[in-house]
Amino acid sequence: MLYVELTIQGIVQGSIYALIALGLTLVYGLLRILHVAHAALFTLGGYIGVIVTNQTGSLTLAIVAAAIIVGLVGMAVYKLAYEPLLSQPPYIALIASIALFIASEELYRIIFGPYGLSYTVQPMSGHIELFDGFRLKYVEILVISMSVVILSVLGYLSLHSRMGIAWRATVTDPSMAQAFGVNIQNVRYLNFFIGSALAAIAGVLVALLNNFVEPTMGSVASYKALAIIVLGGLGSIRGTLLAAMLLGVIESFGTIYLGHLIDRDALAFAFLILVLMVRPQGLLGAK
Amino acid sequence: MAYEMTLITTMAISVLFALSLNFISGFCGQISLGHAAFLGTGAYTSAMMTKASIPFLLTLPAAAITAAILGFIIGLTSLRVRHDFLAITTMGTGFLFVGLIRQQEFFGGEIGIAGIPSTGLGREGFMALCIGLAALFAIFSIRVRRSWMGFVYDSIADNEDITRILGINASTYKLIAFVIGTATAGVAGALYAHHFRFIGPDSFGFVESMSVLAMVIVGGIGSTAGVIVSAAVMSVMPLLFQFIDDYKLLLYSALLFFMMRFSPDGLAGLCSRTYDKIRRRRA
Amino acid sequence: MTIKTTLLAMAVSTFALTGVAQADNIKIGFNVPLTGFAAADGKSALNGAELAVEQVNAKGGINGNMLELVVYDDQASPKEAVPIAQKLIEKDGVVLGISGSYSGSTRAAAGIFQEASIPYIAAYAIHPDITRAGDHVFRTAFVGEVQGRAGAKLIGEMLGKKRVVIITLKNDFGKSLAAGFKEAAAKFGIEVVSEYEYSIKDRQFGPIVSKVKSDKPDAIYASGYFFTAGPLVSQLRSAGIEVPIIGQEGYDSQKFIEIAGAASDGILITTSLDRDSSVAETKDFISAFEAKAGHKVDMVAASAHTAVHVAAAALAKAGGMDSAKLRDAIAATNLLTSIGTISFNALGEVQKDVQVQVVKDGNWHHHSVISDAALLAPPVK
Repeated sequence: MLYVELTIQGIVQGSIYALIALGLTLVYGLLRILHVAHAALFTLGGYIGVIVTNQTGSLTLAIVAAAIIVGLVGMAVYKLAYEPLLSQPPYIALIASIALFIASEELYRIIFGPYGLSYTVQPMSGHIELFDGFRLKYVEILVISMSVVILSVLGYLSLHSRMGIAWRATVTDPSMAQAFGVNIQNVRYLNFFIGSALAAIAGVLVALLNNFVEPTMGSVASYKALAIIVLGGLGSIRGTLLAAMLLGVIESFGTIYLGHLIDRDALAFAFLILVLMVRPQGLLGAK
Repeated sequence: MAYEMTLITTMAISVLFALSLNFISGFCGQISLGHAAFLGTGAYTSAMMTKASIPFLLTLPAAAITAAILGFIIGLTSLRVRHDFLAITTMGTGFLFVGLIRQQEFFGGEIGIAGIPSTGLGREGFMALCIGLAALFAIFSIRVRRSWMGFVYDSIADNEDITRILGINASTYKLIAFVIGTATAGVAGALYAHHFRFIGPDSFGFVESMSVLAMVIVGGIGSTAGVIVSAAVMSVMPLLFQFIDDYKLLLYSALLFFMMRFSPDGLAGLCSRTYDKIRRRRA
Repeated sequence: MTIKTTLLAMAVSTFALTGVAQADNIKIGFNVPLTGFAAADGKSALNGAELAVEQVNAKGGINGNMLELVVYDDQASPKEAVPIAQKLIEKDGVVLGISGSYSGSTRAAAGIFQEASIPYIAAYAIHPDITRAGDHVFRTAFVGEVQGRAGAKLIGEMLGKKRVVIITLKNDFGKSLAAGFKEAAAKFGIEVVSEYEYSIKDRQFGPIVSKVKSDKPDAIYASGYFFTAGPLVSQLRSAGIEVPIIGQEGYDSQKFIEIAGAASDGILITTSLDRDSSVAETKDFISAFEAKAGHKVDMVAASAHTAVHVAAAALAKAGGMDSAKLRDAIAATNLLTSIGTISFNALGEVQKDVQVQVVKDGNWHHHSVISDAALLAPPVK
């Protein structure tokens, strides 16, 4: 039974990773930028979630508000930070992104205080009893179902909507897509909006799981999400989802059985390096 | 004067460390996000040795060798994975290094290593040694840059496949860059350990790797002079910014961001463009 | 444009560095993390220290001279702390230093103060090697081992629980607590069922919680800070684990109760500050701190407050600023402070009682006191 519990815990963690990493892989697929500041948008989502819930008492409103506001901020980040750097080598955008990330952490600390925030009344704090006293919390059910629903809707849209087809065309061959009348600029904006909104939703969910947001909430996400998209094969959406889930489960078991040898972060990267040595293009990356 | 000497020593160590990354990333075009692991390897090697009463100067080559061995291994992976994959692999190396050190009681684990003996060179002597080593490596860097080897590195950084087509064994050259760069980082680590005289796993983490890469890129990747200036200034920047307390890191990151945004080729690029502008105006 | 700004910033900072300070004040150096990941504790520590300075000065200072706190942000990093310590000693001419910072930076700075024969007091940094820097270095907080032993007594003897799971925060704080706990466990008949470790960055403990549940312990000894312990305790409770959870001073903040919510009820910790104390020093400190900082008091603030009072008392006793006399005066401290009566042993480690606090109705309250001098004896070398 313990193994089942550990697997479920791994899937919960994996779902969070998936929501965060998906935005990152969307950005990478389109612009070849390692967007570290994505983790700052995740934190912002958490803050907006807690503040709106505490003010209005509605978690739904909080999730929607976080997704929209952070989505717009994401578009602004693209416009102001990345667009002017697209012609530069990729590490320039990487350093700019890191600078942006540190600046955001400091801004959150200065604006919202160093102690972090919590929900005054924690929403969805109940649970259901599964087997031999194993409990699944409402929050955990929400996390898993949210990511399944969101990711399937996005998957469907990318295959069957006009915008989705334009998006895929742009990722495959930007100049060809442009020749066929796709407005690349709009695709990029949409990309940043969706990716950032997903990170924001992940932020609200993590804030719910921990009942806590803090200025440095994104520090783990900032590098682990990078590991996940590389593991998945940079720019591959299915690969990213697979990598996120795998890593969630591996960390879950690793924490218990390998915890004395190697810490959680190192475990993730050991796995990553191992995979890259065998498959330099990542799990599902194209050669 | 002790305070000024401490600052100058800090600057010199940072310059040496930043130049060592510049050798790998600037000359050879292999971006590394885990360079602090080599600083750490050198620091731990040297600190463990001086704690066992081995004279400090003898530990310098040892620090260089252990760091270079690790660097050689990472260099081998660079033959297998490239570009962004390599960047993330080096980042992973950094996390693995810290993760392993944390769990080894032999290396002090979480507690780190405290009470690292003094070098016996005195504050002035140690400062002179740090400046000397940094200067030596700077001269070496400039000479390499102008040599045949520097030319090969340029072409690897530019387009590795074409370099190979020209019949140059790019792999060997890449490995050499990794070995030289990481060995130097190891020496910088030995100096680091005996300057601060306390090291722990957190001293060599992701943040340290990022800040040294920032030094290299702000200086102007590949430009020895630019990297020297940026490493010297950025290493003491938090101390210079003490007077604005709360906004210190914010200002630091804002400067970093605007540098990338408006002068992506760093200080070196900024200077050469300003110089051109002045010359054109005169002409 | 950017270069101009940089130059301007540097010009301004050089001016600030050479700025002349007021004469006749007695300067105390204070390194504390005000930016970066440790800023929350740094802020509390600074408030606590400033409060103590205000209290001393309101009573006329030290023989007519006012105390002045010279504060630098060390970002909890040894790299920043070394030059800061140099600067405090050489440029600011402080008579003694106090660390309101974490272990790494405090350990690095301690060496510099020791070399200059200037006394240095660590308020709450826990690293065992700090006081080993030399005879000028003191600490007003318990080393982890001592508090770990107190935790063992609390669980094994006072609560009578024998099968214990340890959940350890993987840093110097958690590791030394666990070491002390395990060392004393056998003495109180405790069987350590298993031990799990987590990183200071972890907030999600699902796998550990599942495993602990299958271990079916009588009690859990979990180290951590409020930002890790809050989520940990709440996740243990919501998984249906109802056994006592025992923490330490890292939990000691109102923020812990806020994060863990209802799950915090009944949590026990070993710490330094007694919220329900009838001692005037403690009561005054608690009310004055809350008025000054605008939030509830925590252990970090109390420790920094205590460190400044220890310094002030020693300065008054030494009757001058002679470093050797000042050092001896600190070593001979026997002072009633906000965290009880304290003295130092030969190594400079604090000797005091351990307060056990419990969460009741959303606040920390008195539970019991552990004053077993033999058990609580700090290391002497």
